[in-house]
Amino acid sequence: MKPMADLATVETIERLSGEKYKHGFITDIATEFAPRGLNEEVVRFISARKAEPEWMLEWRLEAYRRWRAMDEPDWARLEYAPVDYENLYYYAAPKAKAGPKSLDEVDPELLRTYEKLGIPLKEQAVLAGVEGAPRYAVDAVFDSVSVVTTFRDELSKAGVVFMPISEALREHPELVRKYLGSVVPVSDNYFACLNSAVFSDGSFVYVPPGVRCPMELSTYFRINAQGTGQFERTLIVADRGSYVSYLEGCTAPQRDENQLHAAVVELVALEDAEIKYSTVQNWYPGDAETGRGGIYNFVTKRADCREARAKVSWTQVETGSAITWKYPSCVLRGDGSQGEFYSIAITNGRQQADTGTKMIHLGANTRSRIISKGISAGRSSNTYRGLVSAHPKAKGARNFTQCDSLLIGKDCAAHTVPYVEARNGQSVFEHEATTTRLSEDQLFYCRQRGLSSEEAVALLVNGFVRDVLQQLPMEFAVEAQKLVAVSLEGSVG
Amino acid sequence: MSLAAALRSRDLDQLPSRRDEAWRWTGLRELIRALPPPSPEAEVAPGGPWAEVACDEHRVVNGRCEPFGGLVRLGPGEASTRRLRFVASPEAGAHAARVQVRVEARADLVLLESYEGLGAGYVAAAELDIEVAEGARLTRLVLAEDAEDAVSASQADVRLAPGARLHQSVIATGARRQRIETRVLHPGQGAEARLDGLYVLGEQRHSDHTTSVEHQGPGGLTRQLIKGVAAGQARGVFQGRIAVAKGADGTDARMGHHALILSEQAEIDAKPELEIFADDVACAHGATVGALDPDQLFYARARGLPETEAKALLTAAFLGEVVERIEPEAAREVARAFVEARLRGLA
Repeated sequence: MKPMADLATVETIERLSGEKYKHGFITDIATEFAPRGLNEEVVRFISARKAEPEWMLEWRLEAYRRWRAMDEPDWARLEYAPVDYENLYYYAAPKAKAGPKSLDEVDPELLRTYEKLGIPLKEQAVLAGVEGAPRYAVDAVFDSVSVVTTFRDELSKAGVVFMPISEALREHPELVRKYLGSVVPVSDNYFACLNSAVFSDGSFVYVPPGVRCPMELSTYFRINAQGTGQFERTLIVADRGSYVSYLEGCTAPQRDENQLHAAVVELVALEDAEIKYSTVQNWYPGDAETGRGGIYNFVTKRADCREARAKVSWTQVETGSAITWKYPSCVLRGDGSQGEFYSIAITNGRQQADTGTKMIHLGANTRSRIISKGISAGRSSNTYRGLVSAHPKAKGARNFTQCDSLLIGKDCAAHTVPYVEARNGQSVFEHEATTTRLSEDQLFYCRQRGLSSEEAVALLVNGFVRDVLQQLPMEFAVEAQKLVAVSLEGSVG
Repeated sequence: MSLAAALRSRDLDQLPSRRDEAWRWTGLRELIRALPPPSPEAEVAPGGPWAEVACDEHRVVNGRCEPFGGLVRLGPGEASTRRLRFVASPEAGAHAARVQVRVEARADLVLLESYEGLGAGYVAAAELDIEVAEGARLTRLVLAEDAEDAVSASQADVRLAPGARLHQSVIATGARRQRIETRVLHPGQGAEARLDGLYVLGEQRHSDHTTSVEHQGPGGLTRQLIKGVAAGQARGVFQGRIAVAKGADGTDARMGHHALILSEQAEIDAKPELEIFADDVACAHGATVGALDPDQLFYARARGLPETEAKALLTAAFLGEVVERIEPEAAREVARAFVEARLRGLA
């Protein structure tokens, strides 16, 4: 839903959250920002603000100290101005009355985008409690804090825990402590380590054994404040035999400076459990001409299929961000577990994306499937980077990978960097990749039938990415399709 | 950062390490703690694995190429077949060699290259600097037969002129660490590169095929087919990179790497890479790693073949695709016999 957050939604969430405040959901909002920069004091500040238990503070401080000793990775095919970590706000809570109050205050470019999408936002209806609205439970995260979670009562009847992680730390400390950092260790990588030190909010989901979550869960992230980094942390645990589908969406307003987004998502699937995780990412991509501004999206997402026959499916539609560094991965530990990765990555203007997945086969008869569709237009660069590995014990492991790249225009670039590591004699890996351009013949055919060149491109590209769109929950597939068209505007002619 | 540089300077810090992306599966710095003494001068008799193909021979023994000055050259319009043998004699320690190959305009050279290890535990590097001029052809056929406990790396830098043609087939049997690297600067404009390869690995042998093709101009063609089998605790590595620079429109490049793992403990690592900066291209790669197809095995056994024979038959057929593409015929027959003998050695 999220990419299409529009003004009304923003207002609705603000209004709802305002009401919550009255009820003591967040009582103290006097301080909007933590001081600029990063030091142990800021980490303590965030932890104190969240009224976290002592062990959590220690965990954060440990992460902070390790992060200080680490170097930022430079192996990805990305070029960007260095991030000034000392000049960021690591914590920003929206004021009760923050947010644009009229259309005049919202960036017209952003509004036009939403208008083009032409979507009365679902979360708007959901949040406003409109009868017959689709039933999603939504957790909205603005800047650093989660402002509202809907449908919580209904979920708790089913035994599903869905709440901001800061709240889960207070209400379910034993669950959080057991699983937090168990998939992405504190010092896994530079950005994950930074996140561990300063993460401010995110969602926590726990689905108890045998429960099929009665509705789609959803988080909506938005970076609003200037000069802020957003460091959300999502932890989803699907206990034995359970099922949950989770959607994540992101937007940010247009700004001249680069904003940092370093999230960590951890998924744990126990025996026979299944998690479906879908992302529609539409952060501000920066100015198409000059490359100014835009989000740096440095995200660590990893799923652990910890027990037999667990299944995790990642689906992502990546159209935004100036820089994307993201490799949603599956550790297939349980025998017979399954991982899937379906991705559409579109870069236009001056965007750069280095994205892909890792499928680590550890258990016997584990299976994985990777379908990646990359589209580069404008002067952008789009890299697929993936690893498929089978360890000696992963007898009968099976992987199929297909990566296709589409180039639109003379000045863009598409790269494919797959790694295959097979360490036993009973696994089968197949990989295929193609790179082509949008066919002139097909374009001509469409235009001859009266489509504008932009409509023709949108039509052809949607055909190219169909395999992935089909994996999205239906309502989102429709929105994603429109998003594909919008993000490719200006790429031809 | 190369083995040759480390051998010349005898400086272990020059060795490529696993931390170097291009050597991630063939790290030498972690492996070599001390270099053997420099290899002495030595003599070997003419012959080698290509002996059945009658032609002139250039020998590089223990890194020394004095007799022919390290230059293999064909003048404009000439056609010839030459053997180029890199031999490590029984006394070999550490050595590095450098050879230049010049194929002038419209010339046609068949280069029968071999790496032969007569000793044990040697560390050898070969560097080839190859130029193929306009309209010229180079057929480079390589048999790499290093000693089991040797470390051997060969690196060829090839510059093609417009309209030039390179056909290369490498057949490798591995060593403690063996790497055969080919880097091609491809101008397009009618030039053509074929970079085939095949590896048959058993015991604890390791073999690394690394290739890189830079398409710099429009209208270039590249074809690549690499096949390999690994048995025992062997490890096969393939790193293939095809880059298409801005403006190299009309490039047509295809790469395939297919490997069989024949034992529980063998390993195959592959990284087929495409790097594309032009939009009017057709580039594709395919990579598969797996075991012999049990259905095929069953079919062969149902017709009365014992299991080992059935496996050998299927494996030979699998590799045959690369062998069949080798020209000229005389060399193909040598290659075929060589591969068959290696396959028998695995069983």
